[in-house]
Amino acid sequence: MKPRETTMDVSEIKRPRRWHILVFLLPALIVYTAVMILPLIETLRQSFYNTVDGQYAFVGLGNFQVLFGDPRWAADFWNALRNNCVFFLIHMVVQNPIGIALAAMLSIPKLRFSAFYRTAIFLPTLLSFVIVGFIWKLILSPIWGVAPFLMDIVGLKWLFAPWLGRPDSALIAVSLISVWQYIGIPMMLIYAALLNIPDEVIEAAELDGVTGWSQFWKIKLPLILPAIGIISILTFVGNFNAFDLIYTVQGALAGPDKSTDILGTLLYRTFFGFQLQLGDRSMGATIAAIMFLIILAGVSLYLFAIQRRMRRYQF
Amino acid sequence: MGSLQLQSIRKAYGGHEVLKGIDLEVKDGEFVIFVGPSGCGKSTLLRTIAGLEDATSGSVQIDGVEVGHVAPAKRGIAMVFQSYALYPHLTVKDNMGLGLKQAGVPKPEIEEKVGKAAGMLSLEPYLARRPAELSGGQRQRVAIGRAIVREPKLFLFDEPLSNLDAALRVNTRLEIARLHRSLKATMIYVTHDQVEAMTLADKIVVLNGGRIEQVGSPMELYNRPANLFVAGFIGSPQMNFIDGERFGDSAKTVGIRPEHIGLSRDGGQWKAKVIHVEHLGADTIVYLESDEVGPLTVRLFGEHRYAADDVVHATPVIGGMHRFDAEGRVINSGR
Repeated sequence: MKPRETTMDVSEIKRPRRWHILVFLLPALIVYTAVMILPLIETLRQSFYNTVDGQYAFVGLGNFQVLFGDPRWAADFWNALRNNCVFFLIHMVVQNPIGIALAAMLSIPKLRFSAFYRTAIFLPTLLSFVIVGFIWKLILSPIWGVAPFLMDIVGLKWLFAPWLGRPDSALIAVSLISVWQYIGIPMMLIYAALLNIPDEVIEAAELDGVTGWSQFWKIKLPLILPAIGIISILTFVGNFNAFDLIYTVQGALAGPDKSTDILGTLLYRTFFGFQLQLGDRSMGATIAAIMFLIILAGVSLYLFAIQRRMRRYQF
Repeated sequence: MGSLQLQSIRKAYGGHEVLKGIDLEVKDGEFVIFVGPSGCGKSTLLRTIAGLEDATSGSVQIDGVEVGHVAPAKRGIAMVFQSYALYPHLTVKDNMGLGLKQAGVPKPEIEEKVGKAAGMLSLEPYLARRPAELSGGQRQRVAIGRAIVREPKLFLFDEPLSNLDAALRVNTRLEIARLHRSLKATMIYVTHDQVEAMTLADKIVVLNGGRIEQVGSPMELYNRPANLFVAGFIGSPQMNFIDGERFGDSAKTVGIRPEHIGLSRDGGQWKAKVIHVEHLGADTIVYLESDEVGPLTVRLFGEHRYAADDVVHATPVIGGMHRFDAEGRVINSGR
């Protein structure tokens, strides 16, 4: 900014309007509004409308009544929600603890080749979900998959089952594929948090006799709790928005017998239609609205209830 | 109890040798200060004693027991770090008690010991606070309290005052001196600040380039420096070094402390011109340039009315000269 003219009376001097701030914000605001805010509002609006007697009309909560009231809709929805919760739980109990463990091992100073491990473990995250889905379908295929062959070599062929094809194991198998793909993210975040702990604090713990496991539980874990909180919420949002991996591995029908159907795939089939099912934009928007509310509730819970109680430490 | 023997301690990182054979004996109850310029190996030596670094060779004995392969926590030492290194997630009380808790000391005993240490350091009002809610000085007292609670044979301080401001530094220094008297514990203290070294130590160990230059009481080092390095390092302003040849002395270098030179306007040994004068109230520091002996710094007690460009005469105090040979070793000390 140029300084103002010096001839001006002192009383008239006020802060110049800083228009440039608005100008700089504008492009991001326009793009964000166009691709995020407007579609969101439009989706929410559409969930209150439906076609009645060939006329597009406001139906209030009618769509929601159908979703929860109609036995077929409700069965599909609750099935998808339950599967989604299982999907999320598996990530929370498998992906995040293993991610933390990997980060803890990577931060051992004496570990050799740690840069190689770090890259190798993070690599699947960089791959496209299409590739990941395809690779794992090939690996786990009972007909020409490499898994039965490899397990045969070590004499474990009897353990093999067509996991992706069985309704009782398909959801777990798909969840674990997703865990395999995304484990690098919690690992990296925790690794960064661990590196952030000053060496002297760890040395003080060594002198206090707090070593090994108790050092991890008593010193490191409390100090990385904020990072674990962030990972949990990222996992939550990611899992309840998930669609891609299931779609590539099990198809839009989320088979077998909808056993891997989660909200994302249910939304896809409802909105766009699939095979004999016709697309229904209103019911699709209704499911999308419910998904939005679930994620909003989860994120709010985290922001207002959990994060406020969590301490951030300055070192 | 707490004596320490170091025998030919060497420490190398890769091919670079940081400690080049350190021998040292610390008696029970002594306050020993390692002092030296940065990179002289004083912190590494302290960390080797603590067990945070392993010596490449040599032996560390505490109370006559070899501790080279003993875990830090089992050596009977406690360390105070420059950055305090408090556990940010624990309260002051838990910070101080964690070591005891880990060792399985019963709770009432921990309470009692923490209470006692907090009393000594006037930390009682802060026991329930976390480090983030304390000032720098309070944090350092907590770090000292954490060390006291463990009742170690040996206290190790790694530049504990460097992160404090000047006023607080003096207070904390007094507190550490008081603590040493009341605990009668052996303390080893690393600093690069010679004032801390001179004021606190029973015995100063001057390190340079991974070697011990001299060990002695503060006054021994001041009055009888063994070599040029110690002579230059101890004392402020720095000792004047004059080429021996310039006034016909057989020594390679002659050192005179600034406070051991007298000034007069009328006459004296060396004629000189005043370059700059610093009036400090208690002292006046006069910087001179002499044709005979080169630049000189003179420290006069009290206030003096010298100004730049005055012509004066400087005379060294009898017995105030330190003579050094070509290798920098002292030939015979002034007193």
